[in-house]
Amino acid sequence: MNDPDVVIVGAGADGPATAWKLAHDHGVDVLLLEGGPWHGNEQWPEPHADSGGTISTDPEDLDGKLLDEQFTHREADANDPTYGYLRVGPADHSRAPWFRNLHQNAFIWQVGAVGGTSLHYFSNHPRGYPTAFNDQPHWPFDYEELVPYYQLNEELTSTQQAPMTAKEEVFIEGADALYPLIESKNVTETGWRPQANAVEVPGRETATGEPLDADYEGSFSYDDGFRGDTLVGDHFQGSSTPVDAPVRDKARKSSNVGYVPRALDTNKNDSQGNVALRPNAYVTDIETNEGAGTLEATGVTFRDSWSGQSQTVSADTVVLAGGCIETPRLWLNAGLPDDGWVGKGLTTHWFDWVVGVYDDETVADINPEVEHMDPYVGQNSAVRFDKPGVGGMEDIGMSPGLVSYADYLFSQAGYSFDTEVDPSEPWDTRGYVVGEELKRRMSNYKQTKALLILTDDLPRQSNGVSLDNTFSDEHGPVPKVKWEPHPDDDAKRDELSRIAANIHKEAGADHVHRCDWPPLLLHMQSSMRMGEVLDENAEAKNVNRLFVADHSAMANGVGGPNPTNSGQALALRTADKIAELYF
Amino acid sequence: MKGIGGLAALSMSGATIAEAEDVLNDSVPSDPHTLDTYRSIVDAIVPRTPQLESELGPEHVPGGLDVELEKFLVWDFNHFQEIRAEMVTEKGLLDGPSDAEMPLEMFESVLDLTNLGGLLGPDSPLDVVLDLADLDLGDLLDLDGDALEEALTFGPVERYDISFADDVTSSSGPAEFELLVETANETTHQVVQNYPYAPAFTLVFDIVAAEFIARGENEDAIKRDRSKFPAGGTFVQLSPEDRLRCLWTIVDGSAIDRLDDLLSPLVPDVGILKYVVMAVNGLHGFGYYTEWSGLGETKTNNPTERSLSTPAGEVQSRQQSGYPGPADGYAANWRHAVDGGFADPDVENLNLPSDLKGDDVIEGIGGGT
Repeated sequence: MNDPDVVIVGAGADGPATAWKLAHDHGVDVLLLEGGPWHGNEQWPEPHADSGGTISTDPEDLDGKLLDEQFTHREADANDPTYGYLRVGPADHSRAPWFRNLHQNAFIWQVGAVGGTSLHYFSNHPRGYPTAFNDQPHWPFDYEELVPYYQLNEELTSTQQAPMTAKEEVFIEGADALYPLIESKNVTETGWRPQANAVEVPGRETATGEPLDADYEGSFSYDDGFRGDTLVGDHFQGSSTPVDAPVRDKARKSSNVGYVPRALDTNKNDSQGNVALRPNAYVTDIETNEGAGTLEATGVTFRDSWSGQSQTVSADTVVLAGGCIETPRLWLNAGLPDDGWVGKGLTTHWFDWVVGVYDDETVADINPEVEHMDPYVGQNSAVRFDKPGVGGMEDIGMSPGLVSYADYLFSQAGYSFDTEVDPSEPWDTRGYVVGEELKRRMSNYKQTKALLILTDDLPRQSNGVSLDNTFSDEHGPVPKVKWEPHPDDDAKRDELSRIAANIHKEAGADHVHRCDWPPLLLHMQSSMRMGEVLDENAEAKNVNRLFVADHSAMANGVGGPNPTNSGQALALRTADKIAELYF
Repeated sequence: MKGIGGLAALSMSGATIAEAEDVLNDSVPSDPHTLDTYRSIVDAIVPRTPQLESELGPEHVPGGLDVELEKFLVWDFNHFQEIRAEMVTEKGLLDGPSDAEMPLEMFESVLDLTNLGGLLGPDSPLDVVLDLADLDLGDLLDLDGDALEEALTFGPVERYDISFADDVTSSSGPAEFELLVETANETTHQVVQNYPYAPAFTLVFDIVAAEFIARGENEDAIKRDRSKFPAGGTFVQLSPEDRLRCLWTIVDGSAIDRLDDLLSPLVPDVGILKYVVMAVNGLHGFGYYTEWSGLGETKTNNPTERSLSTPAGEVQSRQQSGYPGPADGYAANWRHAVDGGFADPDVENLNLPSDLKGDDVIEGIGGGT
């Protein structure tokens, strides 16, 4: 596509949603540029070893079985930040990842590829708390204005309440004794509820009529008639189940599944716009014209990560969707105006992680048919707790590599053998767990449950992304990232951690461990936020025809709930605004 | 690209023949000081635990060293950051480096201990480090220089030299580095793509450990014979728990603030060391408790050339956790918690309460500060 109306930088969670809406509803031609690889596309049969094709516009290029081969479901293959197939870096895996300079005990967890960080997400799709939209000065529009976009996004991503398995029953045992059940998607009260997840739930029976329960002994292959979620907790490995399914029929609707096929479908319909997607294309510059005293975006320059060749493409409108780190980095490397908030105001939920270890009898009492919670069975997170104004928490089950890291090897409290626990607090231990004790705890993996704390986090100018003055890569100075919690956020996190520990204890946990996580930059938002860098349409205040349609446009941390549903809903709204203003 | 001084490695102090053969047959090109330093961390975090056999079973005995987890750490750190030749510039150009260019000297470093104690040479490893950093003992305001000098050793390392392998200022693409580590008995010579952080970090850990000991922060006695990790330096002399306490002083003890000037010549950016301590702990989760050890001889190949030789559910750590490995699906009883799904009226019928905040909001932070 040589003459797109709109060029979108980044095909992560939000870029493809924007592209689909522009082409499908407004007849706009869109070129999507993605810096990372594209998995499950016949044009790139070996995306990490060979440069493959250049561009894909044909939904027939998508190949679910190829995706199954590439996503091995193995943890180290998938998640290792240096060599995993879900990392931030060039597609060529003989090369190191793209470096970000982080001077903290902290971890940035993102994925650079078509689908972006939604490739390894749990697909939790709660809406942001209404209070986060309506009661804070940063938001330029009301919650109600986003609700129709939430509804559209939920429909397109098969978002519905998650199925409960044995591990969720244990959480419910504790939570339901202490808090009411919430039955609304618009959460204004404290309580627990099933997760709203962007996953097609399993049926009560398979497509071939076999009952689907613990006695099912059949195949989980799409070719054999299986549809929907197969209850494997491997979403952080990419989750290409049901195996053999076409890409668009994979159960979990990461954006390469939920939006990319729909976006390519527009090419088959003469009344709609066209969408072309080019991976391995890292945008290094934003082209601008000086209009009548106003800067105006006219296109971008990108670098092919295999050949090293650069190319400039012109467009009527440029949309940045590279995520909360790369979008401001590109802006700053392009030398666009910065009035003090570009890259700043970065929020990331101030997570913590509270672990309960249970004994066999307790779990058997709650689940008479099942001896273990088996954290790898079911969706990774299928039930949650919400406290609008403070934050929330999620019940988590994962495979053991991830569990060992998250439960015992990621802390800001030091080593548990030296870390004292205040006897008035409801947890038994705190900090890193290592040595014999680590092996002892991991021996109990099948009876271990973690609760993820998601603390609200309001944007502050001291947190964010700037250009590093030490290191550069082939795209210019690397991003330097800094995030520290506000003391008031610490207080909220402590409160939520106590609630989590009490839920564990109410459910009968033998031992409760608080990890006291350092910053995990995963739920990032608001580093290019509306109300500061962007106006109420998500158009740059200082550059016409330049929009931001990724989570960095969000004005805050939506109160604590996982940001994907809000980011995508906002991106769909932004697509409508772009069409309204320029097409 | 590795050359080893034949069986001379066998003469390493206290090394068993098996350990020396491990070094000689090592498929991860790495010098013994580096490997032994990471081995001492692996052993502190995932040790062998014979004491668990009677309680939990024999599968709970082996630890991280039994599956060579140190190679995982070394591989990951050495593939952590690509340095592009086109972004490197010679020092001393007329206007100095531009915003995007990095001075060549940032990535080159030589620690030469060969004349240690000689007539004209320095007296101690600390002298060599001070020399490298262009510092005097008196510059170390917060440090007890004598105690530091007493504690600091890089073990058998006599020379450590990192430099660009080619004339980097006239080329482009991923730069290659030449790494040379000499001990009295052997020389490890590698050419690697990416900055070789793994060996650089181990020298840092020795210096941080020396300061840790000099400040009297070790809780257990130090063990100078280094028999378990014969090629290590000060760091491996610490007890397993003290090794971790020592690493923690980087995160939470201001160690890198005090040692910044001393460490600066050894790592391109001292600030990343807090992140490194996060990683050095966390990599045990990404390595040991995943199926990584099942990759057999391919475990440190290029990622596209790795393949499982032991099924993912049967590797050592998976036997310890009881995880069966990835599956296509699980048959399980399941239910919906809310019959009929969530209530979700059309937006025009939304009737949100006036108080949206929940019951106990902490007031006071409006953002923008």
